[in-house]
Amino acid sequence: MTGTDEMHDDTGRDDAAIDRIAAELRVLPLVRPEARARVLVALAAERERAPRAAGVASDARRRARVALAGSLLVGLAAAGLLLYVTQRGSPAATPTAAARTMSTPAATLASTSTAGAVAVQLVLRAPAAARVAVVGDFTGWDQDRVPMTRDPASGLWSATVRVVPGRHVYAFVADDSVWMRDPRAPVANDADFGRPGSVLLVGRP
Amino acid sequence: MTNGPALRLLRTDPSPAPTDDGATPELQTLLRDARAGDVRAFAALVDRYYARALRFALHMLGDRQDAEEAVQDSFVRLHRAFGTYREHDAFDPWFFRILANRCRTASARARRHASVVEYGEVPEAMDHATAQRHDTALAWREEIGRALRALPAEQREAFLMRHVEALSYEDMATATGAGVSALKMRVKRACDTLRHRLIDHDGD
Repeated sequence: MTGTDEMHDDTGRDDAAIDRIAAELRVLPLVRPEARARVLVALAAERERAPRAAGVASDARRRARVALAGSLLVGLAAAGLLLYVTQRGSPAATPTAAARTMSTPAATLASTSTAGAVAVQLVLRAPAAARVAVVGDFTGWDQDRVPMTRDPASGLWSATVRVVPGRHVYAFVADDSVWMRDPRAPVANDADFGRPGSVLLVGRP
Repeated sequence: MTNGPALRLLRTDPSPAPTDDGATPELQTLLRDARAGDVRAFAALVDRYYARALRFALHMLGDRQDAEEAVQDSFVRLHRAFGTYREHDAFDPWFFRILANRCRTASARARRHASVVEYGEVPEAMDHATAQRHDTALAWREEIGRALRALPAEQREAFLMRHVEALSYEDMATATGAGVSALKMRVKRACDTLRHRLIDHDGD
């Protein structure tokens, strides 16, 4: 790489004119926080798909995730992103991750078909959102698989997922861009690439 | 990808100098850790390069949404390909090769819509105040944008790599796969065209 002196070997004449043009073009664009956040989410999804692709040191990754999750959350909060959706929930109306487990076999929103899967209802209060989806290890972190439904009367969003017993990590995505953990559920310390994540523990039925 | 409600934009730290060729100890450490699978290091790498990558993609594609997608895709591919990155290789040309490829792919697709390149302006849903702000500086920027987009893609790419990203011709050759002589010719033609259109007819 070279300095600006060498950059004039090709312009022939009037380098100041090209400098003037290039100076305008060198202005860095403003970065939308949600666009940057989407990069990290896409990287996390990539890691989910090919956990060995980058090929090394899973221990280092695991350690790094903890710190990254915290730092990115702070950054997002600073950007005002987390204020975008109101997360005030009434205790009575937001059962969420420790969610009530339903015995009905009719819930088929998640494609999990493993025998022994349990239906779990997730609820979020997000009156400002136009769309909310559940993402998690049980959806492959796909934002399109489990859209939530809004109850007009209460303003609560809900969805039912079928998950196998065990520990799961999940989050909510509002309006395709704002990731948030479930305010009523334990924080997932292993949320990847700084995604806000919550823990869902499902016992055997 | 959808256009959500207008959100405030953040100007990222422009501290990584365009001429930084990756030889700084800080960047070397970041690259080594990211390559070793340190997620936090990779996120820091995203922070370090995002604005610069977006600038290149915006100039190449002329559309913010397309540019953001190309940048995002570039980082994903960078992550995927990190195993093939050799520590002694210069990082910038390696990254710009990925980014330029993604921009070429994006521009080959049908354009969704024409749009003006944004030079640091807040694109708050085409608000009236922004639309009315036709001061001299903005008009000059827009004229540059139009002139740049009128260049053949190869010339535009070469000009940006050389005069905006400050890559050497050797690094440009790595990034584009073209020879140094061809790249010099592209840059010269781009400079001639831009000078003719923007300076010779500028009236100053």
